[in-house]
Amino acid sequence: MNHFPGTWGRPRDDVYGPYDSSYLRSTGPKAHTQSPAVTGTSVIAVKFNGGVAIAADNLASYGSLARFTDVKRLRVFGDAAVVGFSGDVSDMQYIDRLLESMDIRENYSAHGNQLNAKNLHTYLSKVLYKRRSEFNPLWNHILVAGFDGEKKPFLSSADLLGTTFSAPHLATGFGAHLAIPILRRLFPEERPIEEITKEDAIKALKECLKVLWYRDARSLDKYSLAVITQEGIEVQEDQQIEAQSWAFAETIKGYGAQTV
Amino acid sequence: MTSLIDHNPHSNSIGFSFSQSTNAGTKEHSFYPYTDNGGSVLGITGKDFAVLAGDTRSTSGYNINSRYVPKVFKIGGDEDGEGAHILLSVVGFAADGLALKEKLDAVVKMYKYQHGKPMSVRACAQRLSTILYGKRFFPYYVQAILAGLDEEGKGALYGYDPVGSYEREQCRAAGAASSLIMPLLDNQVNLKNQYIPGSGEGHALEARKPEPMPRETVEQLVRDAFTSAVERHIEVGDGLQMLVITANGIEEIYHPLKKD
Amino acid sequence: MDQLVRQYTRSPHQNEFYSEQEQHDLTEALPPLSLKFSLPPVANHSAFLRAMTDDHSNPNCPIKLAHGTTTLAFRFQGGIIVCTDSRATAGNWIASQTVKKVIPVSRLSRGEDKPGSDPVPGLLGTMAGGAADCQYWLRYLSQQCTLHEIRHKRRITVAAASKILANLTYAYKGYGLSMGTMLAGVTPQEGPALYYIDSDGTRLPGNLFCVGSGQTFAYGVLDANYRYDLTEEEALELGRRSILAAMHRDAYSGGFINLYHVTEAGWVHHGFSDMNPIFWKTKLEKGEFSNVTSAL
Repeated sequence: MNHFPGTWGRPRDDVYGPYDSSYLRSTGPKAHTQSPAVTGTSVIAVKFNGGVAIAADNLASYGSLARFTDVKRLRVFGDAAVVGFSGDVSDMQYIDRLLESMDIRENYSAHGNQLNAKNLHTYLSKVLYKRRSEFNPLWNHILVAGFDGEKKPFLSSADLLGTTFSAPHLATGFGAHLAIPILRRLFPEERPIEEITKEDAIKALKECLKVLWYRDARSLDKYSLAVITQEGIEVQEDQQIEAQSWAFAETIKGYGAQTV
Repeated sequence: MTSLIDHNPHSNSIGFSFSQSTNAGTKEHSFYPYTDNGGSVLGITGKDFAVLAGDTRSTSGYNINSRYVPKVFKIGGDEDGEGAHILLSVVGFAADGLALKEKLDAVVKMYKYQHGKPMSVRACAQRLSTILYGKRFFPYYVQAILAGLDEEGKGALYGYDPVGSYEREQCRAAGAASSLIMPLLDNQVNLKNQYIPGSGEGHALEARKPEPMPRETVEQLVRDAFTSAVERHIEVGDGLQMLVITANGIEEIYHPLKKD
Repeated sequence: MDQLVRQYTRSPHQNEFYSEQEQHDLTEALPPLSLKFSLPPVANHSAFLRAMTDDHSNPNCPIKLAHGTTTLAFRFQGGIIVCTDSRATAGNWIASQTVKKVIPVSRLSRGEDKPGSDPVPGLLGTMAGGAADCQYWLRYLSQQCTLHEIRHKRRITVAAASKILANLTYAYKGYGLSMGTMLAGVTPQEGPALYYIDSDGTRLPGNLFCVGSGQTFAYGVLDANYRYDLTEEEALELGRRSILAAMHRDAYSGGFINLYHVTEAGWVHHGFSDMNPIFWKTKLEKGEFSNVTSAL
């Protein structure tokens, strides 16, 4: 405590050492000792009348290298939920093991696995929050799709910090910039989801995947799509983006093979 | 939780030695564990009620995560908030806020089971301060406001800083737009810098004395505060969730805000 | 063999749920004021804390804590005067103008805090530095003092109470606490006693202290006019005037003047008064603060 008013009551350099701003560096992957290595890009999902549709491409990138081209980033849990992962693939596989053991444990109980998508989302968000509090995050942003306890369509997200939110349509990673505006235009929030058919939803997701394939350099034209309805979960893996048109690239300088 | 000092809560001595438990070996990560999810909250009390309101937008950076993520919670009730008698709003890092809310909720419920009576707002306010201070060295990145009715049935409102300093107040705004809303409240609720016209000349002017406001006025003021904040702050908007606590229970009012 | 297998088998995932101890801590209602703090799992946690919360070194730090500012206390023949401002700042933002920076310590003998009522037995603590640190640790001290009263059937001395606090702050030295507090009380053993304790672990007895960012301004007025044989009226006025000077010159101080008088019988509250009318009264009626023009 000295007589310099400004510094009073604040950590002093002679006691605490100089101010170290390296703790404030925000989450650019390169700055971290623990950083994602092999990563998956966007996951996108939409609620529709009577269910949820969710999609992700099949690529796992190693930096800018398209390293693995047949990685399934949608995981079915029990008969009630699908989890879509973006971010680190090893952490995805870790969570996969976690869910596997939980599924087995639940199925050994007398009533079988009764966990719904909402329960699953709560659990996963707590795991993610706990790991961020240990400074050892699971480097993923996940979407959980399925039904809640009242059999209503459920779609929610959780990220590596444990932040959670839900909305009628969600997208992670680059999709938050590219897919969300498309989905918001197709299905305005004031429009009740009862007016959105399954076909509309699937068509919209395919459209979004196509735009992502055009513009997200870490994406692929092979994808998986899952549709969750009361009847069950349909997963289509190894789908191909159809009706591609690269005509737009002609007009964009630096995109295609231009001579000027 | 790493225990700073081995301490038996029932012993009388203070543990002065640093036997830091090493169950989790220190890991070196430069990982930034916080994010700001934006939004603003505001609380005002009256003679026999308290209002706690918040916008429902959730942001990360310039992205809008979702247009409906409530940040005012009922404390001490069942899953739907039935039977709750305290309100808590948290703004800042949403995952920390949720963790804090769940911790306080558990505490208030345990209190009821152990003592056979609901926790008073005053006790709850101090407990919240202690919970926040428990993370003094790894703070919850939140600004909290607690509201309820005191022992005399009057509206009670407590404002907090991130590590638990607290104060009972008539009104408090917190979060992204607090610097826009708080000056308005100073003027309209506490009647700061308002003088009775004709009561004197110059410095002899008599200041207006603040009086408890009727509920309609308060609700209108809350709406005005938020519609104004939406005009000038990018992280505030979408919807206004307003919870009013009276002797008859808690009433929830939703009011749409601009969605741009 | 089993051991060998165990050694090389790893469970597919770590236990991702709360441990029994953590669940217990979560649901236990009993020890609200404990010394268990969760630390960030980094090697240098005080550097982490500082990076997050030091708004002076980095005005853009994410977590801004409320800070307290000018406080003073002095002994005189009629007891002890304790006086503070009421402003709390978080960076440049005035977080509150109505902070109670004088905190009664010792719960058993603490009464309702009504201005001008009969003396309330007990000690007074003041708050400067981190608002939460002061509130929490004075609450902790209050708990300890109350236990002392129950065990020994007499009130704790100021010397003992201040030592509890100083030992604590010394134990946490280097962790990043920030508090500068004064303990004032009149006990039969000591007479009027005043101690200064800060987060470096300092504990000093003395006649007169000013603490906080406005301390220099308060010292200026207080030192010039202080005598041990002040009358009660003069002493109260001197306390008020010293804080007023600090509020006027220090941007981090302001709001209301909170004035207390501690005597053998206990403490008496002499009001929580808005500084603005007092300032103009001082200027216009006594001709002080002539640096300020009175033209409107």
